[in-house]
Amino acid sequence: MGGLMDGDANHGKAALPGHRARRWAVQRQKLIPYVFIAPNIVLFTTFSFLPLIYAFYISFHDWSLIGDPEWLGIHNYTRLVRDPLFWQSLRNTLVYALSTVPTSMAIGLLLAMALNRRLPGRTFIRSVYFLPLVVSAVATGTIAAWMFNENYGVINAALVQLGLGRISWLSNPAWALPSLAVATLWVRVGFNMVVYLAALQSIPAVYYEAAKIDGASGLSQFRHVTFPLLAPATFLLLILNVIHSFQVFDLVYVMTGGGPGFSTTMVVQYIFKSAFVTSEMGYASAMGVALYLIILVFTAIQWRASRQSESAL
Amino acid sequence: MIKTPTPTIARRTLLGTAAATMLSTGRLARAQSPVTLNMTVWGAAAEEAAFNAAIAKYKTLHPDVTIRMEVNGNAMQAYQQVDTRLAGRQAPDIFRVQYQQVGRYASARAVVDLTQYVDVKDEADFAPAFWQAASYKGKPYAMPHHTDTFALYYNRDMFEKIGVVPPTSLDKSWTWVEFLDIARKLKAAGAPYGFAMSWQNAAFRWLPFLYQHGGQLLSTDLAQSNITSKQAVETIAWTQSWFREGLVPPSTSVKSSEQPQNLFANGTVGMLMAGDWQIPFLSKNMTKYNWGVTYMPRDVAMASDLGGNCFAVSRDSKRPDIAADFVKFLSNPENMHDFVSAAQFLPVRKSLMGVKLPYALRPDAMEVFVAQSATIPSHLVSTVTLPNFSKMNAALTDQLDLAFTSGQDATATAQAIDQQVRAVLAV
Repeated sequence: MGGLMDGDANHGKAALPGHRARRWAVQRQKLIPYVFIAPNIVLFTTFSFLPLIYAFYISFHDWSLIGDPEWLGIHNYTRLVRDPLFWQSLRNTLVYALSTVPTSMAIGLLLAMALNRRLPGRTFIRSVYFLPLVVSAVATGTIAAWMFNENYGVINAALVQLGLGRISWLSNPAWALPSLAVATLWVRVGFNMVVYLAALQSIPAVYYEAAKIDGASGLSQFRHVTFPLLAPATFLLLILNVIHSFQVFDLVYVMTGGGPGFSTTMVVQYIFKSAFVTSEMGYASAMGVALYLIILVFTAIQWRASRQSESAL
Repeated sequence: MIKTPTPTIARRTLLGTAAATMLSTGRLARAQSPVTLNMTVWGAAAEEAAFNAAIAKYKTLHPDVTIRMEVNGNAMQAYQQVDTRLAGRQAPDIFRVQYQQVGRYASARAVVDLTQYVDVKDEADFAPAFWQAASYKGKPYAMPHHTDTFALYYNRDMFEKIGVVPPTSLDKSWTWVEFLDIARKLKAAGAPYGFAMSWQNAAFRWLPFLYQHGGQLLSTDLAQSNITSKQAVETIAWTQSWFREGLVPPSTSVKSSEQPQNLFANGTVGMLMAGDWQIPFLSKNMTKYNWGVTYMPRDVAMASDLGGNCFAVSRDSKRPDIAADFVKFLSNPENMHDFVSAAQFLPVRKSLMGVKLPYALRPDAMEVFVAQSATIPSHLVSTVTLPNFSKMNAALTDQLDLAFTSGQDATATAQAIDQQVRAVLAV
């Protein structure tokens, strides 16, 4: 990169008087970063930002996707506030987030600490935990649905072998959400483990040596050295996991389809249903905007908190 | 492609009709320069193979036309894709569509009115019920391609064990009471569950039970909701009792991702209410048991489900004339004959309806489906082909699932459906 720029600068020098050439070179240097981010900006604008603006526009319309949009004003938003199913889907999403985020982070941290030691085959074990994340969520969802299948699934077969009864994992409203949460743990733990593993490896060994000299036990080393130094990673994971939980769709779509009843209908599930089953693209967009605002607020709070904690460190 | 070993008179007659149809339309739609048309479908392996055979045949007649077929996993995914592409004005030229969905596309002018491409004489060969189902405000917006319906599959070995002989003619079909008694007997004899119903997320398949009990979703003029009637509430309660009594697996409710045909194939249930298109799957996978097909149970009336699909030409097609010609080609007597025989469906042309078709698999079972298809109520057809029916279907799906899985009582279920159906009718 440097060589190329030098060459260009020399070329400029030959053609222009000295100070103008220098100014041109400075301008160029300022321009170069924009050239590098341009493809990303163009793609982001086309496929994320413009659709986002368009979704906001559509949320004020009645649109079946295959016909022409009709102006509705704020009707979709007043309907949303009064729609018990929207609130139920939001509640389901919150319960799902609360049951999967702390647990998947805690298990991820435990695994990371276990695999941070010299163990035989640790690369293999790390890969095994990470694997569900790189496989398509539809495939993991299908496998999870088979495992939880109450008639021929492996989990119920194991329960029967142990002399226990079958459980209607995916067709009992009380069990469906826990089953989804367990399947989510299987997928998400690997990601949390890898991030924590990287963070653990960046903690200098001298802190532990100093702690040992001061006579700190294993537990107090974790409490006073490891955990505080992992704070930036913890904040990052918290934001990413919460956003992921609010956007969960594929796993639910494959495993339960939002049922039984509405017990596993998440916000994105309801958005999809409104958009493609009942052809209410305007209402679906209004819910999309609401979800956008929720995630935005949460991200802002977390971001502030993480910056404060970083400056406190 | 499946061929009869010795062509019958009927087959020869329809080959003649096909040739005449092709001669009359072939010139009209011949492309001047190479044309490529996109076609979106869904379907099982047997259907895909039958479509490919028809495409290859069209190519030999019109070498300058290429049909590119895109296959989706199921109808729902295909609609999602077609709708999104319609919004982007890039819809496929031709797409497969259920009778229930034609009105939705036609009312939004998303598909082409086929009137100018249809030959009146040829139109007369289609059974009126299907022609009307593919029409909107009296004009054809899709070409009927085939139909299918539901009947009752049973595990022959289990039936021998409990000493039950299934009905051999439509008029002897079991009553609701007899049917549930047999389900209980199967369970008592060791089957984990008596039976399962293959909803596949389409609660409109519940409507035949409602008609069997003398009810209907909408009033006779289709203008009012009729779902809070005594018959409707009783039908909800009856179907709910299957779950309450443990006669069906809890995982076979409307929204479940369970594939009930797996449960029938592996002996978890002794009977399965499902469509004729499950025959290829069961012939291949139900290896431990023998199976047969009998008629749907009935109450005060007989009724079964309106299934099947048509083909429509999208408004985005740049060559609707050629697309319409191909759609007509798919539904011509010879190709309809070949498709339904190979993929186990029922024809929608009068000239094929009385004909013994050379079904590739289990012609004995197909005879039951053919007889059962005569019991599809015409009011049911009018109801499910309304342009807004998909919204009513969503209400049925949600509320019946709550009744079957979450203990919502029958009256509350009927009232919740009623509220949503009224809202749809009010628009």
